[in-house]
Amino acid sequence: METKQFNDVLLESAKEVFETMIFMELAKADEPFDPKDDDSLLGTITFTGDMDGCLAIGCTVDCAKNVAANMLGMDPDEQVSSADVNDAMGEVANMVMGSVKSRIQEQYTNIQVSIPSVVSGRKLENSLGEKARRTALAINIEGDFTAELSILYRMHETATQAGLANKEVSVNAADPSTN
Amino acid sequence: MSNSLMIVDDSATMRKIIMRTIRMSGLEMDSTEEAGNGKEALEKLSSSPVDIILCDINMPEMNGMELVKKVRELSNCNDTKIIMVSTESSQELIDELMAGGANGYITKPFTPEKFQDKLSPFMN
Repeated sequence: METKQFNDVLLESAKEVFETMIFMELAKADEPFDPKDDDSLLGTITFTGDMDGCLAIGCTVDCAKNVAANMLGMDPDEQVSSADVNDAMGEVANMVMGSVKSRIQEQYTNIQVSIPSVVSGRKLENSLGEKARRTALAINIEGDFTAELSILYRMHETATQAGLANKEVSVNAADPSTN
Repeated sequence: MSNSLMIVDDSATMRKIIMRTIRMSGLEMDSTEEAGNGKEALEKLSSSPVDIILCDINMPEMNGMELVKKVRELSNCNDTKIIMVSTESSQELIDELMAGGANGYITKPFTPEKFQDKLSPFMN
């Protein structure tokens, strides 16, 4: 983790999930995710322990429908229910978080993950209060859709006392795209 | 000899993905049940035991860890094999689940090969 940027971990994790479980190509996008006035979905999953925070994937409803259809192995012309779309986006957040966790667990040994949730609307944003850091990454799915992966986090007091905060700072210092 | 399976996961999407992955792995099941949480699974297992349970950990109502303990108390599930399927990947948790009565562990994201590897030793 010392040598890898947080964004790299996010990107590697998301690529693994999309290519292994969803059968869609995923790459870093050149342009930021901007849903404008389109309805969008935010799949989130929170975690506590050495770090408290929230991993999120935000995308347009159209993108989420395509992801859900692929996850469920549906034909392109089949209608995906909103319940299936929400469930699928929650699972994407869950699996990406699991993949991130497995990549950082040598450094952050104590991280408990919650059950995912999904919200829909326009111009969705999540927040974590004071001292929270946010790292975000625009991604391109199948060359058709732009979406955003983000992690909001803050170090737990016990982790800070154990010296983990210094490692966390070094990660962010090496990460110019951290917001 | 037949092979019966139960998939326990609170996500209907994940249950479908697991079914698809099993088909892709080439493993053949004679029957497949589904349950959305541990409590629902336990109710079904009480009357209809299965050979293999694929079980998530983080679920509402009754989580995977509790389900493993409860299944091990069911006399009609003595031979049932329980494979946990989860994003949780810490060795400590895996050891705890195995000590509690689970027979195997598959981490998400997974591949058909991983299912083949973990399930085939328990197939009839």
